[in-house]
Amino acid sequence: MLTYIIRRVLILIPMAFVICFLVYLGLELTPGDAVSHMINPDAAGSMNPAQLEALRQSLGLGQPFHVRFWSWFTNLLQGNFGYSMSGGVPIANIIATRLPATLELAAVALVFSTVIGSLLGVVSALKRGSKTDSALTVIGMLGVSIPEFFFGLVAISIFALNLGWFPVGGRSMPGYLTLWDRLPHMVMPAMVLSIMLTAGVMRYARSSMLDALSRDFIKTARSKGLPEWRVNLLHGFRVALTPVVVLIGFRLPVLIGGSVIIEQVFQWPGIGNEFISAVRSQDYPVVMTIALLSVMAVLVASLIVDILTAVIDPRVRLGE
Amino acid sequence: MSGPNYPTTRRRTRLDAQFDRIRAREEAGLAKSGGGSRAVKKFLNNRLAVFGLVVFAIIIFASVFAPLLTPYDPNKIDLRGMLQAPSWEHWFGTDRTGRDLFARVLYGGRISILVGLGSAVLAAIIGVLIGVYTGYVGGWLDALAMRVSEIFMSFPQIILVLMLVSILGQSLLNLMLIFTLTGWGGIYRMARARMLSLREEEYVLALRSFGLSRPLIAYKHMLPNALGPIMVNITLSTAAFILQEAGLSFLGLGVPLSIPTWGNILNVAQDIRVLQTNWWIWLPVGVVISLFVLSVNFIGDGLRDATDPSQQG
Repeated sequence: MLTYIIRRVLILIPMAFVICFLVYLGLELTPGDAVSHMINPDAAGSMNPAQLEALRQSLGLGQPFHVRFWSWFTNLLQGNFGYSMSGGVPIANIIATRLPATLELAAVALVFSTVIGSLLGVVSALKRGSKTDSALTVIGMLGVSIPEFFFGLVAISIFALNLGWFPVGGRSMPGYLTLWDRLPHMVMPAMVLSIMLTAGVMRYARSSMLDALSRDFIKTARSKGLPEWRVNLLHGFRVALTPVVVLIGFRLPVLIGGSVIIEQVFQWPGIGNEFISAVRSQDYPVVMTIALLSVMAVLVASLIVDILTAVIDPRVRLGE
Repeated sequence: MSGPNYPTTRRRTRLDAQFDRIRAREEAGLAKSGGGSRAVKKFLNNRLAVFGLVVFAIIIFASVFAPLLTPYDPNKIDLRGMLQAPSWEHWFGTDRTGRDLFARVLYGGRISILVGLGSAVLAAIIGVLIGVYTGYVGGWLDALAMRVSEIFMSFPQIILVLMLVSILGQSLLNLMLIFTLTGWGGIYRMARARMLSLREEEYVLALRSFGLSRPLIAYKHMLPNALGPIMVNITLSTAAFILQEAGLSFLGLGVPLSIPTWGNILNVAQDIRVLQTNWWIWLPVGVVISLFVLSVNFIGDGLRDATDPSQQG
C-alpha cells in the first residue's frame, strides 16, 4: 500500500512542476511586469528610464529566465503568490478572504448532490425500465442540458424577485454575520450549483447500482430468502455506493467550473467571482495564481481518489 | 429472454409488446430482412433520440434559413421600438435598442452552433489524429502524448478557457481555437483506449505481417472500427461547447458582443431590472439553448446505445 502511494506521489510531483512552469511561462508572455504593477503608468511616464531600469534590476527582473522562474517557484512554495496588478494587494490575502465563501458553497452543494443524486440513482436502478426510471433519466438529462446560469436567472426571477423568499444575491446583509442570518443567501446559489452535480451522480449511481445488482452475491442473498429490501439496501446499495463516494474527487473540476459562473450570477464574493473580475481587468498574476491553485486542488483530489480506490479495491494497487 | 408465452404473472413491459409486434409481422410474412443497418434501426427505435433529432433539425433549419423566416435584421437598431413585449410583429419582442429578438435568436443560433459543432469537430480531428497513431504505435510517443493530455485535462475546463481568453483576447476564432485546445484531450484518450484494445486483434497482426506501414494500419484499417464512440464523443462535446459559449458570452467574456450569439443575447440579463421586467429578452433564448443542448445530448445517448451494446444500462 505504502509503495503504491509513494509511486502515485512520485508521478504527481513532476506533473505539478511542469504545470507551474507553464503557468509561469504564460505570466512572462503576458504584457506588464512587477514594475508596471507597482507604479501606475502616468507616474512611470514621467520617471527617468534609468530609474525604472534600476528598480527592475533591484527586483531581480534583469536576471535570466531560469533564475526568475526559480525565485517565483520557491516563493510559491512558501505561500507567497505575488501581487495583484490592481491595488498591489498580496494575492495570498485575496485568496484567504475569498476562499471561505467558495468552500462554504461547494461543501453544501457537494453534500446535497451526493445524497440526493445517489438516492435518485438507486431508485432509478431498482425500478429499471419503469416510468419512474425513464422520468428520472429525462430529468437528469435536463439537469445537464440547461445552462447553470439560466437556472440561476430563473431562480432569481421566481424566488427572489416575484416571491421575495430569498435575497437576490450576495453572501450576507451588512451587519448580519451569523450563519443563521446568512442561510437565506446561501439557499439559491447552493441549490443551483448542485443541479448539474446531482444529475451526474444520479447517472453514475444508477449504473453502479445496476452493476451491483447483477452480481452473484445478490442472487445468493435472494436465494437465502432475505426480504427484497434487505437484499437491495444492505447488499446492493452498500457495494454500489463506494464508487459513488469515490466519485466526489472527480467532481471537483465540475464544481470549480460551476462555481465560477454561479458566483457571478448571485454576486457571491468567492474565488470564482474574483477570477472573473481578474480576467475582465486582465490582472494576469491573479488569473494565473487562481488557475494554478485550482489545478493543484484537482491533482490532490485525484491523488486522494486513487489512494481511496486502492484501499477499497486491492486489484488496483496490485495490478499494472 | 422471455417471450410472450412465458408463463408468469409479471407485468408486460414495453419490450414484450415490441416482441409481440415483431412476431405478428413475421407471421404475416411482412418482416423485411436486411435493409438499413442495425445501428440505424436501433437509433430510430429510441424515442428520446428521435425526439432529439427532430428538435435538432428544426433549430438548425430555422437558423440556416433565418432570412426566410424573419424580415428583420438582427443588428438593426430601432430606438422607437425599444423593449417591446412579444407581439405579432415581434414574436419574441425587442431588446433595449429595439432589435428584433426572434431574428437575433435565429441568427445567433448560426454562430453558437458553429462555435459548438466547429470546435467539437476540430477537437475530434486533433484528438483522433494523435490518439489513433500513438495508441497503435505505443512507446515514447504515446507516453508523451498521454502526459500532455493529462496536463490539459487537470485544469478545470472553464478556468483554462478563461485563462486563455485573458491572454489571447476575445474573438470568434480565438474562442474556437481555445475550445479545440482545451477539448481535444477527452477524445484523444477515448481513441487511444480503443486502439489499445484493437491492437490485439488478429486482423491487425495479419496486416502487419503483410508489411503495411503503421499509419496505413492505424488510420485506414483500425480507425473505422472506432468511429462509433468518436461520433458519440463529437455530439456530447458539441453540447458541452455550446453550454460553455453561452456561459462565457453571458459573462461578457465569450464572442464579442457585436456578434449575436445565444449567450450574447442573455448577457443583458445580468441586469436585475431586465430580469424583473423584461422576461422576453432572456427567457425564450434560454429555453432555445436548453432545448438544443438537450436534443444534442439525446442524440449522443441514442448513438451510444445504438453503436455500443456494452454501454447499455
